[in-house]
Amino acid sequence: MTPKRELQIAYSLIIVFLFVGFISYAAFPAKTPDEPIRLMYKTVAGKVLFDHKIHLSDSGYGLACQDCHHHPEEPEELEEALVACGECHKVLEEGKTFPDSCLDCHEAEDLEDSEVMKKSDAFHSQCESCHQEVDAGPEEERCSWCHVM
Amino acid sequence: MLNQKKLIVSHAPFWHDGSSITVRSYHTMLAALPAALFGIFTYGMPALGVVSLSISFAIIWELLINKVTQRTVSIGDGNAALIGLLFAMLLPATSPWWMVATGTFVAVVIGKHIYGGIGGNPFNPVLIGVAILMVAWKDYFDFNEALVNYDLRFAMVYPLAAAKHLGTSGIEAFSTAGLLLGQHSGGIGATFGLGLILGGIYLIIRGFIRWEISVSFLAGVFVTALLFHMSDPSLYAGPVFHLLTGYTLIGAFFLATEDSSSPVNFIPMLIYGAGAGVMTVLIRNIGTYVDGVVFAILLMNLINPICDKIRPKALGKVV
Ligand code: HEC
Ligand code: HEC
Ligand code: HEC
Ligand code: HEC
Ligand code: HEC
Repeated sequence: MTPKRELQIAYSLIIVFLFVGFISYAAFPAKTPDEPIRLMYKTVAGKVLFDHKIHLSDSGYGLACQDCHHHPEEPEELEEALVACGECHKVLEEGKTFPDSCLDCHEAEDLEDSEVMKKSDAFHSQCESCHQEVDAGPEEERCSWCHVM
Repeated sequence: MLNQKKLIVSHAPFWHDGSSITVRSYHTMLAALPAALFGIFTYGMPALGVVSLSISFAIIWELLINKVTQRTVSIGDGNAALIGLLFAMLLPATSPWWMVATGTFVAVVIGKHIYGGIGGNPFNPVLIGVAILMVAWKDYFDFNEALVNYDLRFAMVYPLAAAKHLGTSGIEAFSTAGLLLGQHSGGIGATFGLGLILGGIYLIIRGFIRWEISVSFLAGVFVTALLFHMSDPSLYAGPVFHLLTGYTLIGAFFLATEDSSSPVNFIPMLIYGAGAGVMTVLIRNIGTYVDGVVFAILLMNLINPICDKIRPKALGKVV
């Protein structure tokens, strides 16, 4: 190969791959699936990897959606309950007793004395109590099964 | 006796046997291709994007630095393209474009051209690029997090992370055959064990890399992992697992063997390779990083000049 030919090859590599690369990035942007597969939580105590799909698939632990997506218990449409826990379980602003998201379904006066725990408590409580019940998976004393660095 | 001829050098013209840096670069890329293509098929368009962008950016950076420093344009030798390909093979398929751009810049400019270009670099340029990204954007190199939305036919947890955090019970899902056939998550071009091994053998047969380095690197990993495994089988994964996961194979055949940052004599090559292998497992098992290949090889790059001081003694030389 002559040096000139070599340069030509290099220039064509630039053009072809820049084009292909650009198209791949532009036409196929990263998207998150509607129903999560795995979820990664970053906390001060280390990351938590939650395998949503294994927990609910029949070949995995075969749980029902409502075991976790618990409110409302008898939804008219299942989708109503399939929202992020943080929609309802969050740290509230000063002077509020419940998050605004409740008002989609409830009247404010019905909720005066309700208490909703914050997100990390909700996770710890729900995840751990179930693991304890079935005596499998990570629970209270096994922080590091969930929280890895 | 006196006028016996010792060495004959004829006058020009000489015959060039056709081997050149260009041939070498493109053949190395060819050897890496099976593993890279496998990664692209596994992870789809995002992986193709990363690989393509990485190759073109690496060449572009080299072209620019050639122009800026007013040297002859060296992109024809294919080395920049090779750096781009190998760099992409280490990344998760979801790497954003700006990370590919910065990484290839660091690899080509800081890893190579600052030292005067090809042959002058004390460290493997690809690994310099990856190491800096790993430190700067740790989360993007967490394969569990980066590939969180991928659902492939196999257990998607990153094997080395599972082994580190959960011990051997966390890696039951991985079989040796599965690992060889790329049934595990990781860098785009780093998971297809069989492809990497075949590529490596090709390079060894063609004489593009030195088998001494690859074999001693793998032996270093194997023996160290075996010792750990024997000391506590429930905590430390076995040697074959370490050989086939993370960057071990791509490191053994494509990274540790980069010639300007590795030794050339027999004993030094063995020390260099084995040292990198031992360090890899030490970092994996007791260090903070999940995979140790990148830093282990860079560390051995650092002591490579000392290694090369060990020379065979000239025959008959006293003192
Ligand atoms: C083991 C508990 C568990 C089970 C069982 C479960 N989920 Fe989830 N799901 C979660 C958690 C935890 C989240 C994340 C919520 C968050 O991050 O706040 C989630 C999130 C979701 C989301 C995304 C919500 C959003 O807006 O981000 C959807 C959709 C969903 N789940 C659907 C389902 C379906 C459908 C089923 C039943 C087939 C199911 N889940 C079963 C725990 C579970
Ligand atoms: C639509 C709002 C809403 C969503 C979404 C929601 N919760 Fe709740 N959660 C509530 C309310 C209201 C209560 C308190 C009343 C009750 O016990 O039902 C509660 C209570 C709890 C409790 C305490 C239950 C008990 O028996 O003491 C746990 C644990 C919990 N939630 C976990 C979760 C987790 C985990 C998720 C996400 C998978 C989630 N919640 C999603 C509204 C919600
Ligand atoms: C998607 C609509 C929806 C949202 C959002 C919602 N709820 Fe409810 N909630 C219901 C329904 C429906 C019931 C009726 C009982 C059932 O099916 O659980 C109910 C029942 C309740 C009850 C009665 C307790 C019981 O178990 O009988 C309380 C308290 C309550 N909700 C509190 C809240 C609070 C607090 C929030 C906000 C954090 C909230 N809800 C958000 C639909 C909703
Ligand atoms: C309704 C029951 C239930 C709930 C709620 C639940 N899990 Fe589990 N989890 C299980 C079961 C069953 C296993 C299986 C353990 C085994 O077979 O070893 C498991 C196993 C696990 C494991 C270890 C196995 C693995 O997947 O690698 C982790 C981690 C885990 N769960 C995380 C969580 C987190 C985080 C949450 C809360 C968001 C959660 N789980 C909520 C039932 C549950
Ligand atoms: C079943 C899995 C699981 C186990 C076991 C578990 N955690 Fe968590 N933890 C989580 C998840 C999920 C979150 C993330 C909640 C969020 O996003 O706010 C979390 C969040 C946290 C946080 C951050 C809270 C905040 O307010 O931001 C702390 C601290 C924590 N955990 C400590 C612990 C300790 C200590 C233990 C052991 C006693 C433990 N966790 C056991 C799943 C677990």
